[in-house]
Amino acid sequence: MARYIIRRLLQAIPTLAGVSLISFVLVYNSPGDPILIRTFDPNITQETREILRRQLGLDQHWALQYTSWLTGITLRSGDVVEEFTRQDINCNYVAGLNATFCDSGGGVLRGNLGTSIATNQPVWERMVERMPATFELSVSALLVSLLLGVPLGVLSAVRQASLFDGSVRVLAVVGNAVPSFWLGLMLIFYFGVALGWLPTGGRRTVSLTNEFDLVDRISHLILPTIILAFGGIAGISRFMRTETLEVIRTDYIRMAKAKGVAARRVWFVHALRNALIPLMTILGPTIFGVLTGAVIVETIFSWPGMGRMTFSAAVQRDYPTVLGAVMFFSLLTILGNLLSDVLYGVVDPRVRL
Amino acid sequence: MKNRKLSLLATLLVAALVLAACPQPTPVVETVRETVIVTQVVTETEEVVVTPTPAPPVQGGVWVEGSSADATILNPILASDSASFDVLGWFFPSLLGQDPFSGAIVPTEMAHSWDVSEDGLIWTFHLQDGVMWSDGEQVTADDFKFTYDAIASDLVETPRKANLDNIESIEVLDPLTIQVTYGEVKCDALNNLGLGWLPSHLYAEDYSDVMDSPLNEEPAVSAGPFIFNEWIRDDNSTVLRNDTYWKGAPNMDGWIYKIVPDPGARLAQLQTGELDLIGVQPEQLTTVQLDANLNLHKYKDDGYSYIGLNQANPANPQAGQDEDGNLVEQDPHPILSDLAVRQAIAHALDYDAIISKVYLGQGYQIASNVLPAVGWAHDPSLQPYAFDTDMASQILDDAGWTDSDGDGVRECNGCATAEAGATLTIRLQTNAGNTTREDLGALVQDQLNGIGFDIQFEAIEFGTLVGELLGQTFDMVIIGWTGLGTDPNDDSFWHSKFDTPGSGFNFVSYQNARIDELLEQAVSVPGCATDDRAPFYHEIQKIIHDDIPYVFVTGSVGNVGYSKKFNGTNPGPWSFYHNVETWSLAE
Repeated sequence: MARYIIRRLLQAIPTLAGVSLISFVLVYNSPGDPILIRTFDPNITQETREILRRQLGLDQHWALQYTSWLTGITLRSGDVVEEFTRQDINCNYVAGLNATFCDSGGGVLRGNLGTSIATNQPVWERMVERMPATFELSVSALLVSLLLGVPLGVLSAVRQASLFDGSVRVLAVVGNAVPSFWLGLMLIFYFGVALGWLPTGGRRTVSLTNEFDLVDRISHLILPTIILAFGGIAGISRFMRTETLEVIRTDYIRMAKAKGVAARRVWFVHALRNALIPLMTILGPTIFGVLTGAVIVETIFSWPGMGRMTFSAAVQRDYPTVLGAVMFFSLLTILGNLLSDVLYGVVDPRVRL
Repeated sequence: MKNRKLSLLATLLVAALVLAACPQPTPVVETVRETVIVTQVVTETEEVVVTPTPAPPVQGGVWVEGSSADATILNPILASDSASFDVLGWFFPSLLGQDPFSGAIVPTEMAHSWDVSEDGLIWTFHLQDGVMWSDGEQVTADDFKFTYDAIASDLVETPRKANLDNIESIEVLDPLTIQVTYGEVKCDALNNLGLGWLPSHLYAEDYSDVMDSPLNEEPAVSAGPFIFNEWIRDDNSTVLRNDTYWKGAPNMDGWIYKIVPDPGARLAQLQTGELDLIGVQPEQLTTVQLDANLNLHKYKDDGYSYIGLNQANPANPQAGQDEDGNLVEQDPHPILSDLAVRQAIAHALDYDAIISKVYLGQGYQIASNVLPAVGWAHDPSLQPYAFDTDMASQILDDAGWTDSDGDGVRECNGCATAEAGATLTIRLQTNAGNTTREDLGALVQDQLNGIGFDIQFEAIEFGTLVGELLGQTFDMVIIGWTGLGTDPNDDSFWHSKFDTPGSGFNFVSYQNARIDELLEQAVSVPGCATDDRAPFYHEIQKIIHDDIPYVFVTGSVGNVGYSKKFNGTNPGPWSFYHNVETWSLAE
């Protein structure tokens, strides 16, 4: 088992490297210029723009920028030691190559995701600031997806082809089809504005002291959780319905029924436990769905998390922040998949390696 | 009797609100609910007699502004986005004030008066005495000099370097007197002296920590109405009353800047009272107007939307001047360099329909480049182009643009600028995602094609569009200017020296020696009196109007929706909060 986990972790390295290269190329070659977006202002001179561009290394070929992002080492032609040396950047001129090498001590390989163009903060710091908010929302959405999706799915299987089954099916289709930004605004309108029951956005009621208040926090969590969990509920309930129906046709269930075990017990003990096992496999994708869904839900609900940060960083062409977030989400997805595979082995001896 | 009851009510409300004003986590909305309960109690006690006295302003309350974007840095010389200035504007003193209604520069901030030398080059500013930073240090001329020297320092990277253009020296004559010497007279130079001052006593003397001081995120001291309290990125910033503010401490406890990215969610929060102020989108106006708890502040903004017409050949962008400052004759645009075509475009657009349908009434037609907001320089006698398709068609016919093959598109049959037989085909671009501009583009395409143009309209990503604009490789572009400010000098749009492909803002390659001359004279009038400058701007507006480098579509209108929670609000087009220290909670 340990060898299996280690092997999977090693396999994750080339995957992450591929993700980083592809997303880097996509992000850096997408139209739009972070400098022009910031300085489309007649009062800012072209010289200023060039200085900013050069300081950020945006004047270089993307391959050199990628190397610099990975290793923290920048290569420039000519002797520009004086121009680029800073407190934290060492530059050396190599006469033979007529090039200057600058080492910022950073680079992704050394665990440094770089500095945000928009806010000048370290990208990792920006992400850490927002992680608790995203964690809070994703975990609550995941829990709600499971707690509602599983029983709905099993009940649909029990009452196969009933009105209930049909309703859940409609709900699942709607849940997958309705765009979350629309549904989010509708819920904000009805429950926030028209009825006034729930806050319309944010993670807490802002006040001058911003003290912690559990009830207030939970009331802010309800609407975004519902929206974020909606897709998960839909997916999980359909999945559980199929799995339960499959399990119910197996011999041991027929055996249990034949023995005269109570129907309720057959469904919720014998069948459910076995039907739950394959759920592990879609847990990874569900986690991924919740994290990517957070980008939209956090924006609609003014939720100060990583999803919203990623969205606004993309709009502002804040390359390092976008890449940092993409790398982080990729890592989480890889780990989520690994976790679900390992857990599968734990609960189902048939696939143990 | 009725008055007595009211004033008793006021007194008790004051008491209630003073209690409510003590630091506590109660949200604002609930404070208001408490007062409602107090009101009921009071109406039951009728026998108490009190002397009617003018009630002191009610203390307490919090104002919450909703914003789409968060601040990025709270340092007045490093910030370049409006969200940052919304927050940091509370803390840092500045040399010059601005009249909230006329936009004129006025001595309401640190400089209470100033003298100008006869040649107009040396300006001496006399500062307010007794203005204190909130840590007890006095605000002096040294803070001003430190701030501007920091901008000049090589250790500081800032887009504000241009603020130093033309300044030869800044001298501190005494702690309350500053002398600024200019290289030449530039009437709009005062605008460059308006940046917030850094507290020099908290920074290293050699400017080495200006870029990365913790003060850039937590400005510890303030000389304004509020003191920094907390900044939770992407969530909210809070500031608290500065009891030592030199114009008088505000009555309210504090101000909150809350980030709500979605415009629909912002409106919802304004309606529920979670927010007190938002910028209102045109389609949201009715909702705000119908809400009894809300006010609407509508004003003519310092911006306009236009269609830029490239005068030069987009296949061959050239600079407007050579290295010696001589005009470089441009390779003319095959179609748009023809004045008749530009006139036809200007007459072919139904401005009333555009303003009512596309801008939902939030705009007004303008004739030329100086907006009515800059009253002294604006020429109200100049008439905007009238919508008249017959006249537009006639102009094109007369200029040799006719449809000889009957396909609905005109060709050059004896026109002045294009080859014979060339069709009247022009690209029109704008930035994707701005639905107003996309709608306008579709309408313009429709109306121009109606008189025989072949307009190829496309909406492209903003960054890409800016590249095409500055690169001067476009034909026609729908875009706008915002934040033009209070001085009418807009030479960067028209002067030939700003026609520099890749960087200059005269990207329509407009070239007119008379305009160059007038723009220069208008900012170098000795004494800079508005009466002396106005004639130059009137002539500039007339020429720009006649030459049509831009088709002016509409002047911008700003709309702010805000709650009636506080008494004393008196918003002007240039400032909403200018008298914030006098606001008090409505009873």
